[in-house]
Parts: sequence; C-alpha cells; structure tokens
Amino acid sequence: MSDLGGSSAAARATDVLLRATGGRKVMLRMPAPAIPADVAEQLGVATPTFQDLPLAPVVYRKARATIAAGVATKCELLVSATAVEAIVGSLAFASASVLFATAYGILSDDELLEIVAASEEQVFGRPYVYRLLLRTPLTQVV
Amino acid sequence: MQNAKDTFYVMLQSRLAALNPSRTIVVRGVVRPGTLVVENELPTGSIPVDVFRMEWTGLRVDSAASLPLVAMECSIGYCTDGTSGDGGMDRGRLLAGMDAELASALGAEPHTAQKMNYSAAGAGVAPIAMGTDVFWADPVFGAVTSVDGRLARTSTVQVFAYQEVGEL
Repeated sequence: MSDLGGSSAAARATDVLLRATGGRKVMLRMPAPAIPADVAEQLGVATPTFQDLPLAPVVYRKARATIAAGVATKCELLVSATAVEAIVGSLAFASASVLFATAYGILSDDELLEIVAASEEQVFGRPYVYRLLLRTPLTQVV
Repeated sequence: MQNAKDTFYVMLQSRLAALNPSRTIVVRGVVRPGTLVVENELPTGSIPVDVFRMEWTGLRVDSAASLPLVAMECSIGYCTDGTSGDGGMDRGRLLAGMDAELASALGAEPHTAQKMNYSAAGAGVAPIAMGTDVFWADPVFGAVTSVDGRLARTSTVQVFAYQEVGEL
C-alpha cells in the first residue's frame, strides 16, 4: 500500500470510527472577511457578520467535561479530517491551523464554544483527525 | 474617553505604518498595518508576532477642573520569534527594531493629536473633530521576557485627554 493510500485509508477509517461512536454535527462559526481600510471595524464600532459551516462527523472525547468553580469548562472535540479538508479547500485557507485560528468558535447545541487550541494526528504526513480544545463562554462561568 | 482611545490608536497606527510600511498583519483575510487594539478584535487564544498589540490597562479621572482630566495607561505588547529561515537567531535584532519604531513613533513631535469622534465613522464617513487634544508621555519599556525562544516586551504610555461636555 502506498503512503497516499494508507493515509486516505486512515482518514476513512477514522470517519467510520467517529460515526460508529456517536458521531454528530456541529457548526464552525466563521467571521466574514474584514473590510479593507475600514477604521470602524478596527475600532470595534462595526462588527463582522458570521457564517456557520457544518462540521461532521465529530465526537466529544468525554461525554462529561470536568467542571470546577470559577473556571471555564473545557472539553475536547475530535473532528474528521475529511470534513476539515473540505472546508479548508472550499474557503481557500492555507491550512487547517489558519482555519481554526480564524474561526470564532464551535456552535454546539446552540452553545458557542471558543477554540482554545487545535492539533492534528497524522499518518504518512497527512492528518486523519483533528483535536480541538474548546472552552465554554465566560458568561457561563459561576 | 473612548474618543481619546480611538484617536490615540489611529495616530499610533499611522505613525508606525509610516516608519515601517512592511510591518503588517492579516486580520480576517485583509492585510492592514501591524498595530491593533486587542479589545476591538474577536477573542482569540493566539498571540500574533511582529505586531503591536494595544491594551488599555489603567484609568484615572481628575475632576477638580471644569473639564475632567482623564489619564489612561496604554500597554503596548509585542513579541517576535525571529526569522524562521535564520533559525530565530535574529530575534533580538527584530525586537530592537520594534523598540526603536515604538520609541520613534511616540517620541516624534507633536506629542498631541486633535481628539476625533469615530463613533459614526465608516466607509465614506469622516470622523468628527472635537474641541480638545489628546496628549501623551514618553513610553516606559518593560523588561524583555523569553519563553520558548520567543522574545516579548510590554511598554506602557500614559495618555491624557480632557473629557468634553456630553462626551462618553
């Protein structure tokens, strides 16, 4: 098996695994491109519009997140590399890391979670799954 | 005081851009001068390198005079990893370059700018000039910190403005 075939097989196997373990859909909330030379946006007067892009299959690594008083709850999301590659390609991003750095958050069950960190697992140099560390909104911290 | 903050940002951004036009940042797909106000951007966990990040960290209001004098502290953070092609060995020089740019921009005369109201400004709409000025002191450069090869410094500058009647 060639490297390319092995890596794509790993991505497909991961997709199957994610679906089999309760894979679901979340939305990736992306801000619209900034307006060139618009001082109002740079000053926070005008806010960008957002678009929600479907991301599936995904699985929360733990069904129940660790909760502590006064600290934002964090959880880890496993995301199909196939889905990420499709969005990276359609929106012409340079890489998945740029995509996740640009994203405003993950919309999951009407809750907007902030992306704290993103990493990827690779085989033969090609990602087969992405891991997103998410944080609940600060307004929900008690 | 928001008008003073906006005026100071626009002034500093234009001066820094004039000193080094190649210092830019890409924000949501658009290239703009490499100076931003953190509180005006979308929240993000990543810290951009080789740009100036402004944060308003202090506030003092002296109401003794007829026009209250507002003194605000602006923290300007910047960091660099160096040039990857050079193995990061030039990070000290790059940080020194940013030090010099900031010192030059804030030290240049005049130390004042006419306060502008940008609340209604936008594409094709000019800001409204106000009756007083914004003025500032020389910057105070903090110590350099080095974490995992990244050099960072935070400088602070005191910005002053008179709070005009009816101004928020």
